[in-house]
Amino acid sequence: MRPLLELTGIRKHFGGIHACQGLTLRVAEGESLGLIGPNGAGKTTVFSLIMGEHRQNAGTIHFNGEEVSRVPTHGRVKRGIARTYQVPRPFGDMDVVSNIRVGMMPDSLWRMLAKGPDHEAEIELALSVGFAEADIHRLPGELSMGDLRKLELARALATHPRIILLDEVFAGLTVGEIAQMSALLARKRAEGMTFVIVSHDLRSLEPLVDRAVAMTFGRLVAAGNFEDVLANEEVRAAYLGH
Amino acid sequence: MQPRHLILWALFAGAMLSLPQVASSGTLRTLIFANFLAIFAMSWDFLCGKTGYVSFGHPFLIGIGAYTTAILSYRFGVPLGASIPIAIAATLIGGIAFFLPALRIRGTYFALVTLAFMELMYQLVQVVRPDITGGTRGISGIETLTIGAEKNFYLSFTLMYVIALVLWLLARTRAGTALDAIHMNEEAVRGSGLNTTKLKLFAFATSACVAGIGGAFYVHYLGSIAPRALFDIGFLFTIIVSALIGGAGTIIGPLVGAFFLTLLLEGLRGVLPGTERYFVYGVIALVLYVYKPKGLYAIFFDLLAKVRAKVWGKKRGKKRARKHAPTA
Repeated sequence: MRPLLELTGIRKHFGGIHACQGLTLRVAEGESLGLIGPNGAGKTTVFSLIMGEHRQNAGTIHFNGEEVSRVPTHGRVKRGIARTYQVPRPFGDMDVVSNIRVGMMPDSLWRMLAKGPDHEAEIELALSVGFAEADIHRLPGELSMGDLRKLELARALATHPRIILLDEVFAGLTVGEIAQMSALLARKRAEGMTFVIVSHDLRSLEPLVDRAVAMTFGRLVAAGNFEDVLANEEVRAAYLGH
Repeated sequence: MQPRHLILWALFAGAMLSLPQVASSGTLRTLIFANFLAIFAMSWDFLCGKTGYVSFGHPFLIGIGAYTTAILSYRFGVPLGASIPIAIAATLIGGIAFFLPALRIRGTYFALVTLAFMELMYQLVQVVRPDITGGTRGISGIETLTIGAEKNFYLSFTLMYVIALVLWLLARTRAGTALDAIHMNEEAVRGSGLNTTKLKLFAFATSACVAGIGGAFYVHYLGSIAPRALFDIGFLFTIIVSALIGGAGTIIGPLVGAFFLTLLLEGLRGVLPGTERYFVYGVIALVLYVYKPKGLYAIFFDLLAKVRAKVWGKKRGKKRARKHAPTA
């Protein structure tokens, strides 16, 4: 089966730091892949490279059979790639629905000017990710981390993605918020959404992924079944230090 | 546009247009300057207040508009009906030149590059073909559009009013929201699938167009142009301070700021005829930035929220205030 997302021989260095050293990765349509590794392994860099926020020094990125290595970020989003950030990046002076509005906008100046926002669709999306009706006009500064992560996910979903890259999606969440986010992701997964999920919360991650890959120092060190990857000696050494 | 907006715009127009019946010609001349300052401040705001790309070189754009129409009409006898549109088109081209650095840099570096644009223009008009530009002395005896304080007030107010309404409507579209978002986090806007280069070009072109219109009409009001006055750092700061005092990123804020600043300086003239009044205005601006960085616009909505909270109850007042609060 042709992969939806394919990274081949990706190399990226920042000065003397090698964030990716010949990384090759394939994600099939409808698959949910867990990307794990200790801090500094290069997981977020991989996301930034897939989104075009950084450009790789070598290697290629294909999405849906098309090479997107030279496509700018907004072009990749248009093709169906979306991401969330480890530290949420909401538009601070805009309420929840206005944040979602930015994700829903067409990339056409004329259409932006000629047609107003679809308030109903914005509210529907906000409610679908678990916002309470009373919270949809709140500013990001008034939201909990759980709500901020929901907002990031809603803005990603607003772009009609085929794949979503979730960076540390459970970080900073309470037990209840983790359960809520897990249920939401499980629902989206059942609807056929493709995910690549980065998380240090391995217990919460496991039920959400079909398989896992582990990275250390920019290299892929293990891939396969979640339990097998965790049992890998190099992965254990990287996480536990022995 | 909601009915209450329509009423407010109509009331504003009605109040301003009735001023010549009660105000002296001296007051009207002050208000004419306020109208032009409002145009320049709104032009600055559409670019800098909305997108966060702070320009220290706006007189560069105003100067292109002013000099182009002044030279065409005075030196080459081009009628104003043609020289003014050509000047606006020339400013648009200047706006694109202004935009190029924004593709690579932002923040302090962008601001400094725009300052260099203004300085470059200042030197160019003095050194290159002074027989055409008038050199350091500028040009005087430029044809005016109309004569008399009253007619000039109507003309400048109509111009300012139309520009304010258009910019306000633009700011309320989804494109306006996207520009606000660029101000807050440009990378996240790209990550939302929007071409920020295209959006910024729209903001630069609109801002340049307004600056060009303002510059062209201003020079045909004054009847003269002098590089030292146009490219003066004080003139630049007056534009920026107007926008900031009023409330950057709101369009209406800079309009209010321009009138507040002009009337404040004129009001102080009676008490402090010297340059000391600039010290007073500096202190007022400083206090506002420290305690109310979002300007008079935010003060007005805060007061409105308090009044509504008292009249209709706390919850409703707060909710409405948030809905109408400035977004940048």
